[in-house]
Order: sequence, then structure tokens, then C-alpha cells
Amino acid sequence: MSRPLTLRHLGQALDVAITLRGKDAVLERDGRRFEATVARDGAWIEVRSGDRARRCAVARGGRGVWVSVEGTTYFFEAVEREAGGRAAVASADEIRAPMTGRVVAVQATPGTKVREGDLLLSIEAMKMEFKLTAPEDGTVLEVACAPGDRVELGQLLVRLEPAADGERA
Amino acid sequence: MSAARADLAKPAAAIPRSFRKVLVANRGEIAIRVCRTLQAMSIPSVAVYSDADRGSPHVRAADEAVRIGPPAPADSYLNAQAILDAARVTGADAIHPGYGFLSQSAAFARACGEAGVVFIGPSPEAMERLGDKESSRRAAVRCGVPVIPGAEDVPDAARALAEANRIGLPVLLKAAGGGGGRGMRRVASVEALAEHFESARREALAAFGNGRIFVEKLVHPARHVEIQILGDSRDAVAFGERECSLQRRYQKVVEESPSSAVTPRLRTAMEGAAISLARDARYAGAATVEFLLGTDGDFYFLEVNTRLQVEHPVTEMRFGIDLVRAQIEIAAGGSLPKPTAPSGHAIEARLNAEDPFQSFLPQAGTILALVWPGGDGVRVDAGIAAGQTIQTHYDSLLAKIVAHGATREEARARLRTALSELALLGVRTNQRFLLDILADDAFRTGATYTDTLESRTWPPPEGVPDEALVAAGVALFAPREALAGVGERDDLDRYSPWLTLGAWGRPGFAPPGRTP
Repeated sequence: MSRPLTLRHLGQALDVAITLRGKDAVLERDGRRFEATVARDGAWIEVRSGDRARRCAVARGGRGVWVSVEGTTYFFEAVEREAGGRAAVASADEIRAPMTGRVVAVQATPGTKVREGDLLLSIEAMKMEFKLTAPEDGTVLEVACAPGDRVELGQLLVRLEPAADGERA
Repeated sequence: MSAARADLAKPAAAIPRSFRKVLVANRGEIAIRVCRTLQAMSIPSVAVYSDADRGSPHVRAADEAVRIGPPAPADSYLNAQAILDAARVTGADAIHPGYGFLSQSAAFARACGEAGVVFIGPSPEAMERLGDKESSRRAAVRCGVPVIPGAEDVPDAARALAEANRIGLPVLLKAAGGGGGRGMRRVASVEALAEHFESARREALAAFGNGRIFVEKLVHPARHVEIQILGDSRDAVAFGERECSLQRRYQKVVEESPSSAVTPRLRTAMEGAAISLARDARYAGAATVEFLLGTDGDFYFLEVNTRLQVEHPVTEMRFGIDLVRAQIEIAAGGSLPKPTAPSGHAIEARLNAEDPFQSFLPQAGTILALVWPGGDGVRVDAGIAAGQTIQTHYDSLLAKIVAHGATREEARARLRTALSELALLGVRTNQRFLLDILADDAFRTGATYTDTLESRTWPPPEGVPDEALVAAGVALFAPREALAGVGERDDLDRYSPWLTLGAWGRPGFAPPGRTP
């Protein structure tokens, strides 16, 4: 059975469908098919397609799945969709934690309008403070954290409703 | 190790005494690395840990372990009294400080002496003489070691201008009490000097409570080259150089030995300069003398690190020496090891918990799976284990991956393979950035300068390979069917990290740290 899946990677949503039957896997992505066989090799999953085999280390953790391929590590936040449907995301901008840390201050208030670059909140980790700002003009829909909260990598912090074109500053 | 390394350093001839038990006053990879040598020397070891490190691997690396306080460094790893108490309670008669924390504290070295415990390192006097920036610069001048032309203690902008005209622009304005690049200004023009001087002074005053400013000739582009020495308070020997030009925010990222810019003649001159400084201070133990090397082949004294360096393994792999063992033997009254002929080339890459594609933000989290690389000439010095939670209390260094080869190209190829084989899941690291550096033309050709990493951008990899998405799908939907291997358990909560640890953590976990 083909399972539609949205994998969010670095703020980008990848809509794919994956079919697994025994050792055979089919990935449908961007209107094309990638067929492979998968096998376990020690701590790795070997994904072989045609002449090429790539070894991937995988681990499920917290909100998604980690995959390491040839020295590059990806963290995918996984959203399983209904067959044929799209994930319930993307209408609003989601500001997510870029690192695990502690929320030190929250400037965003639900219902208020913000301009691109306005400070929404700050997170601290390893004595470094990181300021999260509005990626574009809009309205704060939801603030999902409070000062002092410990937040995990990828956790939703603030949702923004992007301004309609006419409202833009 | 490789067959090319025939001549290992001989152990020090006679050791009048050894230590009963050594306490390692540090954490992470360096504590484990020191314990490994203690074990090889059959000396019992004591680890110390803060509450944040109760389950950390360094605690298990020692024969016994003592809690020294809450997570904050000031309450634990910098808490001299707690560490001395731990030594007393366990009967340790010597303390190895590692690097960082108390390793360069003359006050701590002095307190050890007063408590009747041997500090494995230089005397407090030698540490003050060479560890302090101003006093080491004076020592360098006295020993005829070239220093960067400049003036100390410049009181005002008018005087700064006069000095800049004397030594020639561009110049560097530097806070006397500073470090890590804070309070530093590059000035290229006479017009900009006064303004930069005032702002450097304000910043220095605010940051260090000390508004004194140095004006120095700006050596640019420059390489960072350092000489490893060992002293026994009478004499000193050198073990070649390490080049550590590849830095970010004054933090070294990739280090190697030898430097592609150091000729035999230059090496002799730099080693001679380092040895004369060590002799002048009657230095005992390991130290590193850091220099800036200009493109014209002129070198200038920077500072002395009166301790073991993070990057010491590249020297160990080339010279076949155990520098920690040498430190311990010297502290026990043993003699200096004889430097042997080095062989081949060694390169180290620092694996940090930081996101190279998001402003190098420090990362925390639980390590879900960990697979170390192996192979000929590869050494891993790590302070982490699968299942461990990386926290934000301490610095972000997770492990050092070091490769040795007959040539620089072989070492580079081995390190690239090792970094490609390494898999660490659950915490973002700079692994991809390290691979990009090693593949880059600047590194490949040896054109490495202190601004190489920061003068350009290092973009994230483009796109996501199909294989990664298939593997993600397998992990999410079908671990059992597709992976009919051992250790699969799909009956537990599928989102528990312990499930993935059970399935993936154990088989992949190899104890790190093959010694050279």
C-alpha cells in the first residue's frame, strides 16, 4: 500500500508517497518513481537502486526521523497524510525551534500584526542567544511557548498568518 | 597502525616514582583520553563529574568517580576546593587537569601543591610567566623570539595614530585583557583609527573591566602554526608543528601536522624559538607555543598554552608518542622523551554539536544512534555514547576524528572516508561542514589561512537524496518487515527513543578511541 507522507526538512515540506513490500521500496516524489531494494547491514539500511547502493543510518526520535547518508545527516519531521490528501500545513507560517534550548523571552502576542524582521522570541542554548524574527509581514495566530520553556529542535513556537498582498508594508 | 611508523618514541629511561592514583579534573573526550593512558600505565584513575554528567561516558572511563557539584562549571569543574576534596577522599596523589577549566590556573596549581597533590603540569611560576599574554611577550622579546611589531598600553587615539604610522597600516587594535577575538578591531586607514580606538576601548572596558589597548601590525593573510614542546624544568624538546589555520570565531576546526607552509629551515627556527622560551621559564610538562606565519615566511610569537592542546593527537600520530604519558612521567620526576623522526601526515577534524547551516547554533538532544568510523590510520577520541543527552552547559566538542597517512593526500582521503562512515543521529553536528572543508580546493592545495573559513559561505547540501527518503519511510512504517535482522523490536512505543536505541544503538556502538 502506498503511504502518503510529508517530511519537513529545514523548513521545507517534501510531499512523497512510499510503498514498502518486503525488501522492495517505491518512492514517489515530484511526479517520478524511485524503485529500490532495502536491506539491513549492521547498523545501516542499505538502499540499492540499479547499480548504486547507499547506506543510511536511521533512528526515530521525538517528532521525526533522523537519517545519515554518506556523512550528511537529515532530520525529517514526519506528518502522515490521508491517501490523496495534503498535509494540514502551509497556509500559515510556522516558526519552529532551530535548536533544543530554553525560551528566554517572547515578544510575539496572538492577534498582533508584525512586520518582516520583527523580533518574535529568543532561545538560549550553550550560553548563546538566538533571536527568531518574522520571516514576512503578517499576524501572529498562535504562540505555543512561554519564557522559561524547554523546547526541542523542530518544535512549533509561533504560527503566523502571512499578510494578504494588499496589506503588505 | 601503519607499517610506515617503525620508530616509536622510547619511554623515559628511569622513573624515580610513579603515582598511586591520578584524579582527572575534566570531562568529555579529554577525560576519557587521559584515563586511557592511566590504564595503560596501570595507575588507578578517578573521574569527577557534575550533576549534569552523572551518566556521561567519562565517569565510566575511570576506576572510581566523585560528584563535585551542580552543572554550572563554576560550581563543579572550576571548583578547586571540590576537586581537591575529591583527591583527598579517594587518596589520589596527582591531578591531571586536561585542557580548559583549571588547566591554566596558577592558583589551582598552587593550591594542589599546598594540599600535597602533584599538579600534572608546569609550576605556578612557569605558568604565570608563559601563560600571561604580556609577560610571555616580554619573555619572547628577551629570548630573541620575533613578536608582532606593536605597542602595549596605548593611552589615547593620538598615540595610537603615532604607533600606527611607525609600524605601518593596517593595524590590529586588541584589548589587553581580551581573548577569543572580543575587543579586536582591524584598521586599514588613518581616518578610521580614532573611532575604532574609542570603540575598542569601550568594549574592552565593558567586557574585561580593563580598557588597555594594544596596537599591532596586522599580519594578513596568516597561518596559525604552533610548536609542541615538552620540558622538564632544565631542558625542553620540540615535536614539530601543527597548523591550525582553519578556525571559526577563533575556534580551531581542522588541524594538521606537518604544515604545508613550513620548510625544514623554518621548522628549525620555530622549534628553536619555542625551546628557548621553555628553557627561560624553566618549564616542566607539555606546552604549545603559537605563532602567526605570514606569507613571506616571517613568523611571530602569539602566545603559549601551558597545557595539553585539544589537537595533540596529530602530533602523537606522527611521532608515535603518548603526550599524556610524557606529562605524567615528567610530573613524577622522569626525564624527557627523545623526539623521534616523525612519519607521514596527520589531520584532525573536530566534531561539534552545532548546526553549520544555521549560524553554527549550538545543538542539544539525545544521541539516538552512533556509529564510529574505523580503518587503518584512523583514531577517534570521543566523549559521547549512544543514549547520552548532550546538554548545553559545556562546550560543544563531541569527538575528534584523526587520520594518519604516508602523505597529506592519503591522510586527507582517510579522514574523508572516516567522516563519511561516521553516523550520529539525534543531535545536529558539523559533520557535513568538516567534509566540505576537506573536499575544498583551499584545503586540498594547502592554501589555508586564518580567514579561510570565515571569508566565504559554506552552503548546505542541495536537495535530499531519494535513498534518505526511502530510509526514512522504512524507519517510520516498516522496521520489522524490511529489516528482518537481529534486535528488531516493534512491540514498544514506536516513538520512544529507546526503541531506536535498542534497534540501532547497540549494534552500531563501537568503543571509540583506537590509540595510535
